[in-house]
This record gives sequence, C-alpha cells and structure tokens, in this order.
Amino acid sequence: MAGHEEFVEADNAEAIITRIEHKSRKIESLLKQSKPVEALKTALEGSPPKTRDERCKSANWIVVHRAIMAIKDVDGMFSSLDPEYYDILMKYLYRGLATGDRPTCDQCLRIHEKLTERAGLGCILRALADTVNTV
Amino acid sequence: MAVVSIHQFNECITCHAWNSDRTMIAFCPNNNEVHIHGYSKDKWERVHILRKHDQMVSGIDWGAKSNRIVTVSHDRNSYVWNQEESEWVPTLVILRLNRAALCVQWSPKENKFAVGSGAKTVCICYYEQDNNWWVSKVIKKQHDSSVTSVAWHPNNILLATTSIDGKCRVFSTLIKGVDSRDSGTSVSSDPKFGEEIIQLDLSFCWTFGVKWSPSGNTLAYVGHNSMIYFVGDVGPSPLTQNVAFRDLPLRDVLFLSERILIGVGFSCKPMVFSADETGIWSFLRFLDDRKVASKYRHGPKLPKALGKLYGQSKKSGRGGVHDKCINCILPLKDDEESTIVKRFSTSGLDGKVVVWDLENQKDISLNS
Repeated sequence: MAGHEEFVEADNAEAIITRIEHKSRKIESLLKQSKPVEALKTALEGSPPKTRDERCKSANWIVVHRAIMAIKDVDGMFSSLDPEYYDILMKYLYRGLATGDRPTCDQCLRIHEKLTERAGLGCILRALADTVNTV
Repeated sequence: MAVVSIHQFNECITCHAWNSDRTMIAFCPNNNEVHIHGYSKDKWERVHILRKHDQMVSGIDWGAKSNRIVTVSHDRNSYVWNQEESEWVPTLVILRLNRAALCVQWSPKENKFAVGSGAKTVCICYYEQDNNWWVSKVIKKQHDSSVTSVAWHPNNILLATTSIDGKCRVFSTLIKGVDSRDSGTSVSSDPKFGEEIIQLDLSFCWTFGVKWSPSGNTLAYVGHNSMIYFVGDVGPSPLTQNVAFRDLPLRDVLFLSERILIGVGFSCKPMVFSADETGIWSFLRFLDDRKVASKYRHGPKLPKALGKLYGQSKKSGRGGVHDKCINCILPLKDDEESTIVKRFSTSGLDGKVVVWDLENQKDISLNS
C-alpha cells in the first residue's frame, strides 16, 4: 500500500536543517561506496513535507537532487526501491523538472518514465493533487 | 461477461436514476432537461422530457417506494416531481441557495432528501403536510468548500458528506416531527439537527463519492489523488484505511456487500475493491470483458498496455465499455430487502448507460 510516509515532527527549522546536513554526509559516504539506491532511500526518508519553511524544503531538495543525479541504472534502482518511496520520489521528480536545468531534467525524465510504468498514473496524481505536503 | 447491456442514450450523461422496477430511467443529457426513457418491447424509447430547470441538472434521484423524482440543478433550484396519470408534475423546493446545487439523494425512508451545494451548505428537505410544501433546513458553517456528494446512513438520520476541502463529515439530520422515535431509544442522547458527529481529514485534495456499506458500519469515499478511504466504526475513534491505487482517480463508489466495493471514475472501467477476513481493503481487479488471469497485487508486474503509456495519448476502448469518465454508479436490486447487490448500472460522459452483473464472476464473492 503506497503512500503515507511518517511525518517528522520537529521543533523548529534549525533542527530539521541539522538533520538534513547529517543525512547529506551519510549520502556522500554511500555514494562513495557505489550504493546510489541506498543513498536515494536515505535522501527520501524523513522528507519534511509538513514544514512550511522553504529553507528546509530547499535543503532537502539539494540532498535528494544529489542522490537522483548519481543514479546510473534506473531499472536496477527500481528493482530494489520499495513501493512506499514511489509517491515521494514522484514529487521530487516534478521539483526537478521545474528547475529547467538540462541535465537535471534529463535525469528526472528518465526516472519519471520508469516510475510511471511501475507505479501507474495514480502516483502522478498523488504528487500533483497534494498541495498541502509539497516538497 | 460482467456486462449485461449497453445503451447509448445520448452524447453525454450527467447523472441517471432508475424507477423501482427498472423499466424506466431518468437522466440528464448534459443540459437543463431530464429525459425519461421507458423500456418496452425490447427497446428504450423516450417517454417524457422534464423541462423546468434553467441550467444543467446536476443530480437526479428516483424514490423507489414513493415514485417521486427529485432533481437539483446549477440554477440553485430543486424540484420534486410526482407522476399524475401520464404527466410529471413539478413542485418547487425553495432551497435558498446562492450557488449551484451539486448532488441530491433521497433518504432511505424517502421522507427527506439531502442536497449538497456549491454554497458550502447541505440542505435537508422534508415535506410539511400542513402547508403542503417542501421545507429546507440548511446545515451551514461546517464545510469550507463545495459539497460534492451526500450519502444517507440506513438509519435515515445520519448523513455523510464529502467536500472540495478534502474532508468527509457525518452529520445528524434529526428533525422533530419527521423522524419519529421508537419507544426504546433515549431522547436526551440523540444528536441535534446539524450536529457534526465526525470529521475525517484523511485526504489532502478534493473528495467525492461517499457511500455507506449496507449495514452502515463502514464508510467509503474517494479522493482526487487516486486514493480511496475506508472508515470503519464511525464514531469518536474510527478505524481508517487509505488505499492508494495506480490508476486515474475515481468519481463514485458503490458497496455491493459489506466486503466488496466498486469504484468508477476516470479510468473508464469499474474497479473492484475487496476486504479480506481481517477487514483490510485492497484493489482486486478491473471489471472489463477481458478475462484476467492473475490478480493484481501491490507492485504489479508490468502489464503490456502500460508499457505503451508514453506513446499513447488517449485511452480509447482497449476492450473497455465506456470511452470516457464514468461519473455515476447505481445499484439495481432485484429484492429491496436484500443487502447484497449483484447488479449495478454506470453512466458516463460518453452518454452510455451500462448494466453490469456479477453473478458469474467467480473471484468476486458477494456472500459475506
């Protein structure tokens, strides 16, 4: 049953940003160990969509972006990514497509095609229709 | 084959309703009229046109016991039609709305009907014998946006509503003089008219299509984000379940039994959801004419049709019956007392009304 990740209840934006920085270090080390899928999972976990603070969202986006760009084998990634991450990944893909930056968009489109095949149009709907929990 | 009959009535149908023995159907062909067709000598022919509304008729309901039709329209009015000899005579119901009426439903006893409107209100209308007219009592101030769908609980008092603000609410519509009380029930604990029993905030986007299960124990409604929400034990601490599915959103649902539900919507094919013994709901399969070899489970294998998704711009009848969004689903019960529905009808923006029968679908067990 996809959807409904755990929402991180944090006291303030600073705590969230510290957590994101911590996550960022972990992701760098995972990427050095050539584990891009693990890195992506770590980046997507604990995404703070319930905060209204744009800095937290931007900070998390930078981390997720780093992990997304490091993926080389998209099909392989999906074989080990759990379905619970599909909805949140789709939201970040749309954020990536919104940047307009050529390499980011290329990568995001590549992943979007495969993700839609796996998760269906419902996943796109959930990413677009949810205006409350944005990334 | 699940499909019993398909009939193309028009180019586009907004909503439809059947009479009690299903020999007549009333529908709105996307304009300000209501057409009534009768079935005789193996074909449908138009017998009446009800012309009273000025704008699109958004909701029709035909009371099976009383043989009255109630229609509501974007022109902010509602009419109750009674059949006198061969004519349908309208009675205006003053709803006092300043926005369109969106949906209507007769209560189970057919002494009241509920109208959801774009004015963020729900009007409960009942017949006042003394003055010989329909009176409306309005539930205001509870909804934050348009009320898209209403559904009566079998007890004739509780009403569930869904709204564009993403919430599903259950209200009491107890009206003195209309809802008579048995000698056994207590008087002081009865909730007042308009009292909100519960508010469910499960969805973050528009919600539609709320329905109660036959016993009234479970509530289901859909969100525009391709999710369907099930609520058991409706009360202070409900058991909620969110089911996400892979296809386009639903617009309306129907409980066939306590454990089987059909959802219809933008995917143009009815979706079957079932609950297992522990009460966990999940998507079973689509109802279309092709035989399905395996059940869809979470994380399905790639069906060939979806692989063509990026090259395909329109889903046009890949074996499906409806070509466009299905926006209305109604039960067709042979026996009014039965709690299990085996047949139902769907109508959609393609102008077709399709009757489905699940008698021979072996994997859908309706006896719960």
